[in-house]
Amino acid sequence: MDTQISDSKLVGADAGMASLGDAQAAQRSEVRSAMTRQSDVQAAAFQYGMQPEAFQYGMQPAAAPKDACASFNEAGNVGESHIFALRQKYPSAVLAVSRQSHDQLTVTVKREFLPESVEFLYYVRGGWLSVVVGNDERPITGNYSVNYVLSMEEADKCFIIVRTEVDADTLEFPSVTPKVPACVWGERELRDMFGLRPIGLPDERRLVLPDDWPNDLYPLRKDSMDYRYRPPMTTQTENYEFVHDDQGKETTVVPIGPMHITSDEPGHFRLFVEGEDIIDADYRLFYVHRGMEKVAESRLNYDNVTFLTDRICGICGYAHSVAYATSVENALGIQVPERAQIIRALCLEVERLHSHLLNIGLVCHFCGFDTGFYQFFRVRETSMELAELLTGSRKTYGLNLIGGVRRDVLGEQGKAIKSAIVKLRKDTQVLIDALIATPNFAGRTAGVGILDRKVARDYSPVGPTVRGSGYARDTRADHPFVGYKHLKVEARSYPGCDIQSRALVRIDEFFDSLDMIEQLLDIAAVGPVLTTDFNYQPHQYAIGFTEAPRGEDVHYSMLGDNQKLYRWRCKAATYSNWPVLRAMLKGNTIADAPLIVGSIDPCYSCTDRVTVVDVKKRSQKTVAYDQLERYCATRKHSPLKG
Amino acid sequence: MFEWIKESLTVGNATVKYPFAPLELIPDSRGKPEHDALACIVCGACATACPPNALQMHLDLPNNNYIWQINYGRCIFCGRCEEVCPVKAIELTQEFELAVMSKDDMLETATYSLQRCALCNKQYAPSKEIDYLNSLLDSFAQNDEEVQRAKEQLSICPQCRRIAESANVKFICEQLERRA
Repeated sequence: MDTQISDSKLVGADAGMASLGDAQAAQRSEVRSAMTRQSDVQAAAFQYGMQPEAFQYGMQPAAAPKDACASFNEAGNVGESHIFALRQKYPSAVLAVSRQSHDQLTVTVKREFLPESVEFLYYVRGGWLSVVVGNDERPITGNYSVNYVLSMEEADKCFIIVRTEVDADTLEFPSVTPKVPACVWGERELRDMFGLRPIGLPDERRLVLPDDWPNDLYPLRKDSMDYRYRPPMTTQTENYEFVHDDQGKETTVVPIGPMHITSDEPGHFRLFVEGEDIIDADYRLFYVHRGMEKVAESRLNYDNVTFLTDRICGICGYAHSVAYATSVENALGIQVPERAQIIRALCLEVERLHSHLLNIGLVCHFCGFDTGFYQFFRVRETSMELAELLTGSRKTYGLNLIGGVRRDVLGEQGKAIKSAIVKLRKDTQVLIDALIATPNFAGRTAGVGILDRKVARDYSPVGPTVRGSGYARDTRADHPFVGYKHLKVEARSYPGCDIQSRALVRIDEFFDSLDMIEQLLDIAAVGPVLTTDFNYQPHQYAIGFTEAPRGEDVHYSMLGDNQKLYRWRCKAATYSNWPVLRAMLKGNTIADAPLIVGSIDPCYSCTDRVTVVDVKKRSQKTVAYDQLERYCATRKHSPLKG
Repeated sequence: MFEWIKESLTVGNATVKYPFAPLELIPDSRGKPEHDALACIVCGACATACPPNALQMHLDLPNNNYIWQINYGRCIFCGRCEEVCPVKAIELTQEFELAVMSKDDMLETATYSLQRCALCNKQYAPSKEIDYLNSLLDSFAQNDEEVQRAKEQLSICPQCRRIAESANVKFICEQLERRA
C-alpha cells in the first residue's frame, strides 16, 4: 500500500501486535509489520488515554524512537501510521504531534512543508479535506495558526489536523490549493477573516465578506472588532468578478439570483450559455452571513452555543448541535453516557428521515412533477411528528448540552416511534415505487449534472453528492461516533455520477435510517443521559463530526479561559459541496440548472421576491411577493407590464 | 401516472382542521414559558441560562427596582429557564399562538423591589430573595445562635457584613474554643 514504509529498514520485524480490526488487516499488513517492532518500546508512551497534553513528544529531540508509532494499542488509539509515513516521506517536516481523542491527531509541520504534507496525506494516504480552520493564536503562541482537517478514510481511519503557525508580522504561508484544489474555499476564507495571505492561491477573490466591507478589517482577529460593530459601507457598487472560460465560444450571461424563485436560497449564479447549453458557470454565496462564530466567541457560554448551533440550518440543525457538543466533549475527554449517545443517534436519524423526504420531494418539484412533491411532503409529516415526540419541538431543537442530552426516551414513546416507523416505511415505499416507475423522473435525472469522479476526489464533496459518484464515504461508517458504534452502518453509493444516483442514494439511506431507528431503540442501555462530571480547561481543542443528511458536518472548538469558546469553526455539509457545482453545471441546459443545484440539496432559506431580467431589452424589474401572489391568484394586471 | 391518481384518491384529505379546530399536540411539546411572579425569588438563574437573551434582568437603582423581563419574540422555547429555576417559578406551557399586533406586546415584565442594608441603607439584593432565605432559616430551630447570626447577616449588605465580621473575630474565637 505504501512503498515508503515497506522500503524502510524497519520492515521485517513482527509479532507482539495487539489484535487488529479484521476488515482492514490484510491490506495493512505491510504497514503493520513496520509499526510493530516499535510497539514494545513505546508501550508506556501510549498509555495516555484521553489526555491530550501528555502526547507532546515531537518537541523533544531525545524522543527519536517514538517516531514510529503503533497503529493500535491498548487505549484503542488510531492514526499513528499516517504520522509515521509523513515522517518517512518528509523527515524534517514534522515539528510536533498531539492527540485530541482516540481518533484525532494534530501534526504541526514546518510552514514550508505545509502544501507537501497536506498533499501527501490527501492523495497518498487516502485523506479527504473536511475543513480549513484559521485561528488567531497571538495571545497564546504569538502567531496565527492554520489547520487543515483531513478525514483519513482508507487504512487506519482517523482525523488528522495538519497545523502550521503563521508569522503575525508577515502573515504569509504557502497555499495548498495548487496541490489540493479542495482547499480553495478554506484559504479564501482565511484571507477574508484573518487577513492571512496564502502565497500562490489561484483565486484571491473575497468569499465570505461582502463587497462593501472595509479592506483592512478582519472580523475574526481577536483585536479587530466587537461583534456588534457594523462598519460603514465602503462602496455602493458590486465589484465581484465572475470568472468563466468560454472555450472560444460566444456566450451570453444568464444571471440567477441573488434572490430567485428557483434557487431557494440567496445565492447569485451566472450561467454563461451558448443557446440552451451551459458553457461555464460561476456563483457567489454568503448573502446571509450571520456572524455566528463571532457571536459564539464573544457572547455565549459553552452550553448556550449548543442552542445557537441548532439554528445554523433549518433542516439539519441537530447534526450541527451534536457536532459542536462532541467537539467540546472530545477536547475535554468527557465520557458521555451511553444512553445519551444512543438518543443522539436516534434524533440524527429522525432528522435524516425528514430531510431526505424533503429532498426527494424537491427533486420531483424541480422535474416539474408537483404531484410527487406534495405526496412526499404529506408522508414527511409523520417524521416531523417523530421529532416532536422525541424532543418536544418539530425540529429536533434544544436537546443537547455539553455532556449529554436533556430528554430521555420513555417506554411509551418508544412504542409510538416504532409504530410511526412502520407507517413511514409502508407509505414511502408506495411513493418510491411509483416514482421510479415514472418515466419522466429517469428522463430528467439520468445523465444530468454529472459530477466526474476525478473532480469529486479533488474537491472533497460530502454526503449523497459524493456517494452518487461512487465514493462510499460516510462519517457514520468511517468514523463511528455517538450511538453509531453499536450499529453496522453501510455507506451507500451509486456509480452513475448524476442526479438520479444522488436521489437513489437518498432513497436507500431513508430506508436504512428506518432500520437504524428500530435497532437503536432496542439496544438503548438504561442509565443517565447527562453528565456534569468535568471541568473546562483553557485552550484545549478538538473537532466534532456528524453525518448530516447533506454530508459531513465538522466543528472545531478551542476552549477559552473565560467560560467562552476561544475559537469555534463550524463547517456545514453544503460548504464542501458548492465548489464542485461549477463542474456539475457545465455541459447541461439552462432548464436543468435548478435541478442540478437542488441535487446537492443546498440548505434552504426563504425567498421573498423575484427579479425578472429581460436579456434582450437589458432591463430588469423586481416584483414583490404580494404582487406575485396576487397575480398568481387572479392572473390579471401583470406586475411586469407598465 | 395511474399509481399517483390511485394514491391521491385512497389517501383522501391530508390537511387538518386547524385553525378552525384545536391542533392536536404531543403531550411534551414545548410552548410559551409562563412566569409565576409571586413564586419567583428573583435569583436571576433563568436570565443567566437563557441562550438567546430572551430573559433579562435590569437593575433600576433610582426607583429601587429590579426588573425581570421576557421577550417572547426572542424566545426559542428551549426550556432552559424551567430547568434551572430553583423554585419552579417558570414553566413551559403548550401555548404556541403568540402572534401580536405590536412588538411591545411580546414583552412581559415583573418588577421587584430591592432590599436596603439595615446599616448603610444601600440596596444590595432583591427583597424577595432575602425573604426566601429568611423563610429557609425560619425552618431551623430559632434559639440556635448560628441561625440568629445568619439572619442578622442577611439584613446587611456584603460590605457592611465584612466590617461587622472583622468586629466579630472575638465572638468567632469563643465559638471555636467552645467546640474544641
